[in-house]
Amino acid sequence: MATIDHYINAIIEQAGCEAQETGSATIEAHHLLLAIAVKGETGTRQVLTSAGLDHQAIRDALDREFEHSLSAAGVSLAAFDLPRPSRAAKPSTQLGASAKLALERGFASADRKRDLRPAHLLLGVLRAQAGTVPRALTLAGVDQAELAARVMRSLTLEGG
Amino acid sequence: MDLVNYGCCMSADEIPASQEPADALAAVAALRRLADQIEDAAVEQAMRAGWSWPQVAEALGVTRQAVHKKHAKRLIAAGVKLRRR
Repeated sequence: MATIDHYINAIIEQAGCEAQETGSATIEAHHLLLAIAVKGETGTRQVLTSAGLDHQAIRDALDREFEHSLSAAGVSLAAFDLPRPSRAAKPSTQLGASAKLALERGFASADRKRDLRPAHLLLGVLRAQAGTVPRALTLAGVDQAELAARVMRSLTLEGG
Repeated sequence: MDLVNYGCCMSADEIPASQEPADALAAVAALRRLADQIEDAAVEQAMRAGWSWPQVAEALGVTRQAVHKKHAKRLIAAGVKLRRR
């Protein structure tokens, strides 16, 4: 297996842990983003932190997005006073629709398979036009297009 | 788009309206996530309180097989004592 395949597997594995942590049965695009913030290759993580997005900041933004989206339907998280459920026995391994789209977009952003870099994976997540990730980024005050452009520039600098 | 238009028995005063389709769609996704979270918590609470799978299934309006498949592994791993029937 090529290095990039190992990298993608490691990110998906970590994303499965993020999904398990948040009680999600499937791995979604925002779990990939959290995984990249933890286990991502250094350059990719640096691009994220340069936008103020470390793992905790992304978690906070996702929490805000959740509450904000619920409020559009008049639902408040504070209204539910149930004990926190136990986590799933094992990390999730099933990719949800948003994660599949992010991976497809990431692969499509490289010209050839052998040109695929860790940054392409992040680019795939950042190219979402709707859904949890763009909304969370907006709530965190992050310019999604500018961040994607920065990832692109990191690829050019790398010579990939 | 206005979420209120979809309510058949709630007035505009009861449900806060969202003007944006994006907000309404995100609300649907968030409500599904919340429903899953509440289900995880509520099923665990019921099973810890000694409910049986058929009781929980009936309360949720799903089959016993469905609720078992979705929750059994997690609850066993969490050490919840499960009633057989």
